[in-house]
Amino acid sequence: MSSSRSEGCTLTGALSVTTAVKDAVTIIHGPAGCAHHNFSLLHALEQENDYSRVPGIVCTNLREGEVIFGGEEALERLIRKTANKSPGSVFVLSTCVVDTIGDDLPAVCAQDYGVPVCYIPTSGFLGGVFHTGYENALQTLSEFSNKGEQTGGVTLIGEKNLEFEVDQNFQEVSRLLSLLGIEVQLRYVRNISSSRLADLGKGSLNILRDSSIQRLGEKFHSMFGTPFLDSFPAGFGGTIQFLLDVGEILGIDSSKAVFTEEHFQKKVISKFQDLKGSVVSFTGQSLYADDSPVMDEMIEIFDFSPDEKGMEFIVPDPIPVGTSGISRLLHRWRRSSHARA
Amino acid sequence: MMKQIALYGKGGIGKSTTSANLSAALTDQGLDILQIGCDPKRDSTRMLMHGRLIPTVMDLLRERGDRNITIEDVVFSGYGGVRCVEAGGPEPGVGCAGRGIIATFQILEKLGALHADVVVYDVLGDVVCGGFAMPMREGYAREIYLVTSGELMSLYAANNICKAIARLSTRARSKCRLAGVICNAKNLPREEELVGEFARRINSRMIQFIPRDRIVQVAELNKRTVIEHAPESLQAEAYRSLAQRVMENQQTDIPIPMEIEDLESMAYEFIKE
Repeated sequence: MSSSRSEGCTLTGALSVTTAVKDAVTIIHGPAGCAHHNFSLLHALEQENDYSRVPGIVCTNLREGEVIFGGEEALERLIRKTANKSPGSVFVLSTCVVDTIGDDLPAVCAQDYGVPVCYIPTSGFLGGVFHTGYENALQTLSEFSNKGEQTGGVTLIGEKNLEFEVDQNFQEVSRLLSLLGIEVQLRYVRNISSSRLADLGKGSLNILRDSSIQRLGEKFHSMFGTPFLDSFPAGFGGTIQFLLDVGEILGIDSSKAVFTEEHFQKKVISKFQDLKGSVVSFTGQSLYADDSPVMDEMIEIFDFSPDEKGMEFIVPDPIPVGTSGISRLLHRWRRSSHARA
Repeated sequence: MMKQIALYGKGGIGKSTTSANLSAALTDQGLDILQIGCDPKRDSTRMLMHGRLIPTVMDLLRERGDRNITIEDVVFSGYGGVRCVEAGGPEPGVGCAGRGIIATFQILEKLGALHADVVVYDVLGDVVCGGFAMPMREGYAREIYLVTSGELMSLYAANNICKAIARLSTRARSKCRLAGVICNAKNLPREEELVGEFARRINSRMIQFIPRDRIVQVAELNKRTVIEHAPESLQAEAYRSLAQRVMENQQTDIPIPMEIEDLESMAYEFIKE
């Protein structure tokens, strides 16, 4: 077993996106348990990240009666009740059960409720895995976009709201972009209001969280003509390349930014000289813990000798973003090496 | 000892007509009969109830929830005291009728309603999902009768149901077996021979041949079973004979479903001349 994104339930993936729309309510059409487990997981993760926000989730609480006679009426009732409280938008997710009995969610959601109501294809475990729900939510929310004029700036696509360092990673990308004189205009989707979903096509560059949503980068490119970079930067070399790529796409001279960043990286490397020459064993959730280009880079820079019996250096998945991410990682490795010594 | 039988077969083949007449013939023998219609169309017991569509277990569940249902609410007395139950189900095209059958059995079980000298389960045409196999599960019907005519589509459906019976009968505590084939004839040439041969090929036997007769439609128009409407008719005699053989039947088997090609070539042998 693992907690990989290629497993798990589509609901969790979709909720990781929809609950990041601050004024939205997400309806789970299914048994109470489906909502309970997801609510608990999201709430616990938010607490872990020191947010006290309660995820905006409600549930149709289906029971045997609805399974036998159909759950569409229960869903319609809950959408009306929810819409009466005037949320910015309502997202509707389907569970295994309602997909098995054939409730027609798109038809129920297509009625007029006075607020935007949007069905996100999920279907619980039947509909795919965590990643499917995450990707489907990101794609479906693009229906809220306005084909307005471009206002420039960068749009971040698909930040992993459940990852531990989500905001540190965001700050690192913002810092790197600021070296080029650019700002993040839209976080699609993290801590934004429903109205901001309209701005999806307005940036001059989309940066995807990682290449697993390459398809969305292409889709938004064809919808809005926005060029995209397929990943946040990882590793020292990757971070420099990121600056070069952004500069090239936006026609900005990146040489000064690169110079500044290289200087910063040298400082980081010199700060961790005590780790140099360590015998290390890379471990972690990821199957690729000891087979990542970023780890190759670390081995080269710090002259690590990989050995099964070496000091255990945990490689998180994903690897923290940018130069600052590597700096935090080196800090953690140093702590664990001290703890061992 | 309580006898628990179920009739399965292609939709429209005459399961309900056969079940109702079988129940009527059995009650005339002085037996206590419970007939349970397991089809959302809810018309299994209609002739026994003189045309009345009785409230279904699912209607009551929908209106009251499962707490406020009593035996009197779901069991209705029909011809000769046959006790009639209809499972019912959701509106066509919504929800899950199979789950409705499972819920019905749970409710009937809780009410202690499943007792009689003979319980007759009349089940929807095809065993489309686990729900409609419910009557074959442990504790319910132990003797399955396949109702079929000599038409290929009807034999095909019967053969398909054999697959369900064969699968269920391999389970450890399963007491569900195939008890025989009832030929509800369409008056095709060599039909009795064909259905008899089919029964042998699936490791069973034809227990009763019921000819096609207008009297069935006439009785139906009068909202009666043939047993009640025309007790002296030859058709009524066929149903009484069926009732007799069902009561005497000691032989139950695990069916061996035919390959579709074999089924077709067998039917062809009888039809070609």
